[in-house]
Amino acid sequence: MDTVFKGEHLLPGQIGQFFIVLSFGAALISFISYYFATTEDAGKNDSSWQRMGRIGFYVNSISILGMGVCLFYVIYNHYFEYHYAWAYTSRSLPVYYIVSGFWNGQEGGFLLWTFWQAVLGNILIRRAKSWERPVMTVVAFSQIVLATMVLGVEILGTRIGSSPFLLLRKALEAPIFQNPDYLSFIKDGQGMNPSLQNYWMIIHPPTLFLGFASIVVPFAYAVAGLWQKRYKDWVAPAIPYALFAGMILGTGVIMGAFWAYESLNFGGFWAWDPVENASIFPWITMVAALHVLIVYKNTGHSYFTATFLVLISFVLVWYSSFLSRSGILGDTSVHSFTDNGMFWQLVISVLIFLIISVVLLVARWKQLPITKKDEDTYSREFWMFVGSVFLGLSCFHLLVVTSVPVWNAMFGTKIAPPSDVIKHYNVIQSSFAFVVTILTGIAQFLKYKKTDVTRFFITTGLYLLFAALITALVVYGTGVYKLNAVFILVMWGSVYSVVANAKILGDAFKGQYKLAGSAVAHIGFGLLLVGALIAAGTSSVISINNTGEGFSPEFAKEQNPRENIIVYRNQPVKMGDFLVTYTGDSISAPNHFFKVDYKQVDANGKVTNEFVLKPKVQVNKGQLASSPDTKHYLFHDMYTHITMSNAISATEGGSESAHDEVDDDKNYDTPVSHEVKPGDTIKYRDGYILVKALNKEAKVQNIPLSDSDVAIGANLEVVTHGNHYNVVPVYMIKNGNVFDFARKVDDAGLKLRFSKVIPENKKVEIMVYQQPESKKKFIVMKAIQFPYINFFWAGTIIMVIGFFMSIRRRKKELKVV
Amino acid sequence: MKKSAIFGLVVIAIAIAVIISVYSNSSTYGSFSDATKTTSELHIVGHLNKTKQLYYDATKDANYFSFYMKDNKGEERKVIFTGTKPEDFERSEQLVLTGTMVGQEFHASKILMKCPSKYTQDKLEITEAKATQASI
Repeated sequence: MDTVFKGEHLLPGQIGQFFIVLSFGAALISFISYYFATTEDAGKNDSSWQRMGRIGFYVNSISILGMGVCLFYVIYNHYFEYHYAWAYTSRSLPVYYIVSGFWNGQEGGFLLWTFWQAVLGNILIRRAKSWERPVMTVVAFSQIVLATMVLGVEILGTRIGSSPFLLLRKALEAPIFQNPDYLSFIKDGQGMNPSLQNYWMIIHPPTLFLGFASIVVPFAYAVAGLWQKRYKDWVAPAIPYALFAGMILGTGVIMGAFWAYESLNFGGFWAWDPVENASIFPWITMVAALHVLIVYKNTGHSYFTATFLVLISFVLVWYSSFLSRSGILGDTSVHSFTDNGMFWQLVISVLIFLIISVVLLVARWKQLPITKKDEDTYSREFWMFVGSVFLGLSCFHLLVVTSVPVWNAMFGTKIAPPSDVIKHYNVIQSSFAFVVTILTGIAQFLKYKKTDVTRFFITTGLYLLFAALITALVVYGTGVYKLNAVFILVMWGSVYSVVANAKILGDAFKGQYKLAGSAVAHIGFGLLLVGALIAAGTSSVISINNTGEGFSPEFAKEQNPRENIIVYRNQPVKMGDFLVTYTGDSISAPNHFFKVDYKQVDANGKVTNEFVLKPKVQVNKGQLASSPDTKHYLFHDMYTHITMSNAISATEGGSESAHDEVDDDKNYDTPVSHEVKPGDTIKYRDGYILVKALNKEAKVQNIPLSDSDVAIGANLEVVTHGNHYNVVPVYMIKNGNVFDFARKVDDAGLKLRFSKVIPENKKVEIMVYQQPESKKKFIVMKAIQFPYINFFWAGTIIMVIGFFMSIRRRKKELKVV
Repeated sequence: MKKSAIFGLVVIAIAIAVIISVYSNSSTYGSFSDATKTTSELHIVGHLNKTKQLYYDATKDANYFSFYMKDNKGEERKVIFTGTKPEDFERSEQLVLTGTMVGQEFHASKILMKCPSKYTQDKLEITEAKATQASI
């Protein structure tokens, strides 16, 4: 048991583990102190409990930094005795990916989350003033829960949390660990999954986790409001934070979509994968909460809904973390983690926050400022409220479907998600989106509280009509009309949202600056939906393959889209409007790029447009991972993705040249001999060969020739698919023996031998070896055209700008009041 | 009746409609023998029979891939997938197919595979160490 292991560096791990425990303890102290500061020292200006709470929180923040430094030290120095370093990094990983190796694992994700929460906590300590004590009680509590996730300590026989400083020999069971010198056998780590080696991996997770972490602030305010019975005044300070959370989380999610689109191979930007859905639950409810908070602030109505949505957003953050980390999605998601032994711990965390929310609401139910009076039908607030409830319903639907495995686990049922799950989501979510987008326009036309009804109906009607006209044009022009009617409705709603909010924005420039932020955000959201609808709805696979030999006739009869096409090297294939050629490879390990040339040719045979895409396949430990390449145009994208190729093998770098001649001939069809003289042409399957001349000064490397020896080269030009290759096979008589030196044209799949000289008729014999189709290099690729996808990205950016403008406005209001 | 009450009822109605539509749209997990009895799409969980041939020849047809899968009840069927062979298919530990039976073959419209090596990287790959290890 007491083996002394050689070469381990235990100190950084011990320091790191110390920091983990310290952060847990400090959070606990901070929580307790803040709790008593809130209850015992209520009303007192000077509170020693509060000072303790602050100190505790500072210590917590510092120890989180300490953990980060230790983990980075371990990863940076390639101490593979640590499981985390071994599992996620390798020596060959460039430094900037070492940074992302940091959050590759679940533990790193929690670390990032707790780090951001610490940053936000420090901001609150400075800014929250009279709210500091109760709000920080909640934040400190959340820090405790997060700290337990990385604790990695055994208490009463159960392991709590999973520490990033776990040693490899403790993480895995293998006989090798009985060897004290085991480290000398572990030369390198597992490395990062090649599909994660992308600059998005560096910025996407921190952004997403900042988004998740920032939801704690509105949650803390809502809890504090209920707890301290200050029902009214938590709302104003919480709104900017809620806006911030919506902005960052939205950005993070769309970054993920962009990453998927740019470099992963799902062939799109959104696949409704459960893990993706889980990340937008809290965003949807947060955005809904935001709107209802504003309603409450302006009218005093809808207090319960506002509080409920804020509380549920944070519970959903934890729920989504549970979904993606507990392994429960195993059968339905392609990118969920597997269970790390923390299933129940995650369940408990979700329940803790759920119970806190429910208990507080129930305990304060009677006192909640719930209005008995109805809201005015023609007030903006009423329709904002309705829109928010529909957002909530849309989230509810996503939640019900995504959680199917959870229902199965809870009730022992065996339901599977809908078989065409993407269509299911698209149709139902679009129905909600239609209502919500229409309301984003209508509500803006209404005045806060009370509106001139006739004028409202006229403007709304006019804009709806105008939007309908534009929609008709767009729908007809892009082909969206071929889709389900609900998509046309969403298009109408989105266009309406854009034009109506554009009008509001126009008014804003005339002086009503207050609404500018929301107008911009809504325009962005509308454009985002327009882009998503057209790009996803009318994306066309242009690599439709009708040439498959069809293994069984009934197979071809089914309307199966045959979306993959085979392209042989240097043999152009017609694909939609394009002539596509696989022209070559370029390899810089671990990336193998395939050069795919796209040409558009007009009726006169002139090339009007040409570009080269370089989709790549990465080789990592015998696994292949392919990444698409996309040509971006202003109004559409050409997306190309390699699904298979024989030009790459999982053990790339191994030599194939070691074959001897006899073996090599097996790679070719039976040769065909031709008797030719200079000036003749030889036809073959893929083109022709021109016999240009015979030259008597041919030389072969490393073979010196004496005077009696003869070496003749045949200057041949191979012409195939518009490409020209010059080759010189050599015929040689040396010391009375005949040799010939074949030459290969790999690009054309040819081998040429100059095998005989026939003096009688002054001809020579050329043997043509052709590679059979199956031995020729090819790629199987899929090409998709995404029209108008830039609306999607541009809409996102505009929406973020709108959020940002609103944050500034709400902050300004805060200072005034 | 108050407006908010009406609205509340509408919301509840929609929520119920959502649940019903999800439930009626939902498919079921089954076995190959279940699939022979129905024409609707089914999810089947099972694992790849690695001893039988995986057929994919892009030069013949780039969109035809066939293999043999055993479902969780041990029944084995030939599966045909219209598309290319997914990367690392041979390494999969578990497969979830979506599709229908056509004659004796299962035609999959979707394949979801779990490759444990991708997410839990807990397979210690010891290349040279094994030989040394054996002598201890």
